Amino acid sequence: MDVALAASAPETTDWERLAARSRLRRRTTTALLYTVLLLGSLPIVVPYLWLFTVALSGRVGASTFVLWRTLAVLLPALLIWSILRVGIDDRRRLRVCEIVLVIVTFVALAVLTGPYLHTGNWRFLWNANIADQLKGAAGVGGTYPSVWTAFGNSLFLAITQMVLVAAVSTLAGYYLSRFDFRGRGGYLKGLLVLHAFPAMTLIIPIFLLLHWVGLLDTLTGVILVVVALELPFAIFVMKGFFDAVPWDIEMSAMTDGASRRQAFLLVVLPQVKVGMLAVAVFAFLRGWEEYVFVRTLLLQKSNWTMSLYLFWMSADVMGTDYAMVSAIGVFYVLPSIILYTMCQKYLTQMTLGGIKG
Amino acid sequence: MTTAPRLRVWLDRILFLGPGTLLLVMFFIVPVVVDVGIAFTDMGRDLQVTGFTTENFRRMFGGDRRLPSVMLVTLIYVTCTLAIFNIGYGLLLALLTTALPDRAGGFFRAIWLLPRMSPSVVYALLWSWVVAPTDFGLLNQALTAVGLPLADLKSNLPMLLVVLANGFIGASFGMIIFTSAIRSIPQHLFYAAQVDGAGGLAIVRHITLPAIRWQLSFVTIYQALALLVSFEYIWLITNGGPFFDTTVYALYVYRRAFENGQYAYGAALALGLVLVGAALALVLWRFFDMRALLQKPRIEVS
Repeated sequence: MDVALAASAPETTDWERLAARSRLRRRTTTALLYTVLLLGSLPIVVPYLWLFTVALSGRVGASTFVLWRTLAVLLPALLIWSILRVGIDDRRRLRVCEIVLVIVTFVALAVLTGPYLHTGNWRFLWNANIADQLKGAAGVGGTYPSVWTAFGNSLFLAITQMVLVAAVSTLAGYYLSRFDFRGRGGYLKGLLVLHAFPAMTLIIPIFLLLHWVGLLDTLTGVILVVVALELPFAIFVMKGFFDAVPWDIEMSAMTDGASRRQAFLLVVLPQVKVGMLAVAVFAFLRGWEEYVFVRTLLLQKSNWTMSLYLFWMSADVMGTDYAMVSAIGVFYVLPSIILYTMCQKYLTQMTLGGIKG
Repeated sequence: MTTAPRLRVWLDRILFLGPGTLLLVMFFIVPVVVDVGIAFTDMGRDLQVTGFTTENFRRMFGGDRRLPSVMLVTLIYVTCTLAIFNIGYGLLLALLTTALPDRAGGFFRAIWLLPRMSPSVVYALLWSWVVAPTDFGLLNQALTAVGLPLADLKSNLPMLLVVLANGFIGASFGMIIFTSAIRSIPQHLFYAAQVDGAGGLAIVRHITLPAIRWQLSFVTIYQALALLVSFEYIWLITNGGPFFDTTVYALYVYRRAFENGQYAYGAALALGLVLVGAALALVLWRFFDMRALLQKPRIEVS
């Protein structure tokens, strides 16, 4: 018995080798995953990178020269980074390597692309007549508004919309969460259908309604429409946040002599600040990006928002100056990306009536 | 506690629920009624109604020779985008990124959220530059680099372009939902499967997929509806062209009304979308936790 065990042991229980093999296998799998994801993400990353490089460096046409140089630095850097992550187990050494890598990448970028960067493409910011100058007198569109008019319109639309959506959905969400009334079930069910219901299909009657009321071609009209379309979702999100606030808080406030409205304003409202923030940011972004409704409901050039400004600029000036159009694009897209990244924490907290799992 | 005065109750109701209800009625209920009404008129470019007619519906069911091909285009577009990107690629991204450490996975997910974060006009602009038919377009630069001839997706393969552009955005919705679903699967199931000798694919097939089947069908229906009614990116990138090759139903409705000034016919066509939308919205009900949603408030004091 003993002899047999001793004889078979060396072959079957070489734990060291088994562990090494499984480590290798895990590392190969991880490396493979990184490679697949990196390659799969290129079609998204490269065009965006292109937009940014052209906006900062393009002179005539949308040259890809700087893009390739940037990629020639960034891709190897990413590759080295993933090798580091897979290959180094020690945390501190990994951190040091990463910092060195970042510094080297930046220096390489500065040396390779630095001489080509310039701010000339951003002249639309201080030259209000830029479009007409570029097109000459032959342009079909006539005079363009200044980019700041469009920027102001977009900001006005987004902010007013944000305030209205946050206020109205907070009020309604609170009432639906805390008050019982006849038809509450029906109201909630109806709201749920409206949430899933595609509002885009109603664009013709909405256009006609605004025309009849006299709000066509006004920012007020567009704001009201976009607010209404945002509401079902926002009300549900707010109701969810109110549902999560314990009843006892209100109860004790009211036994202490607060009225229902005081309890709402002073006690419950501070508890749902995160929810209001999430709804507000989401509404702002929706207002900032809006295109279909502003395109359909706004006609005058002085009413243009950033989306319309960029659209017509790209349609009219494209052949003349790609680099400036991409600078406008960057100018328009940056606030969105920054806001999304900053508020991601809040945005992900929005859930809707608990999807069954 | 005393019963609240009726006036007070009504004041509260109007104060809290009034503004929301008013807006919802104005821009959801009234437009549906208006749409039905307009569909039975002869409203044209001048926005005047001169008479009532059922001509629009006669045209919809038989008279309009372009409609069948528009339906076919819509079917191809929705099915391909949904199957390949919104479900397929979204699921793939969720599976791959959840297999990585949290931060690396989050990084890749953030990249795929980029199209969703950027305004539609910017995103569409990027696509039309990438596929620009001249040799400055990114795609063509890549093609020439590997020795292939120049391509002009916009005129030769417009459907592919439209599916790709919408799919790159659509994939992120499924990715987010599936990621949180996969995260909520208890870890011990994976350990148990590994101990039993299951490989990666077997684990996906027998543990992950069955655990997220609810989310799979939710995303399918939700995104089918979204794809069916939205035309924003198609409109921006190909404008439904060349000719009518990428004009999906929703865009057809829009073009008929706002390009050709046939508001009444557009309204009649839109009714079809309204019906489909309402039906799918009702199906989506099944996915919400109705009991929690409709739970009665426990305190009622005014």
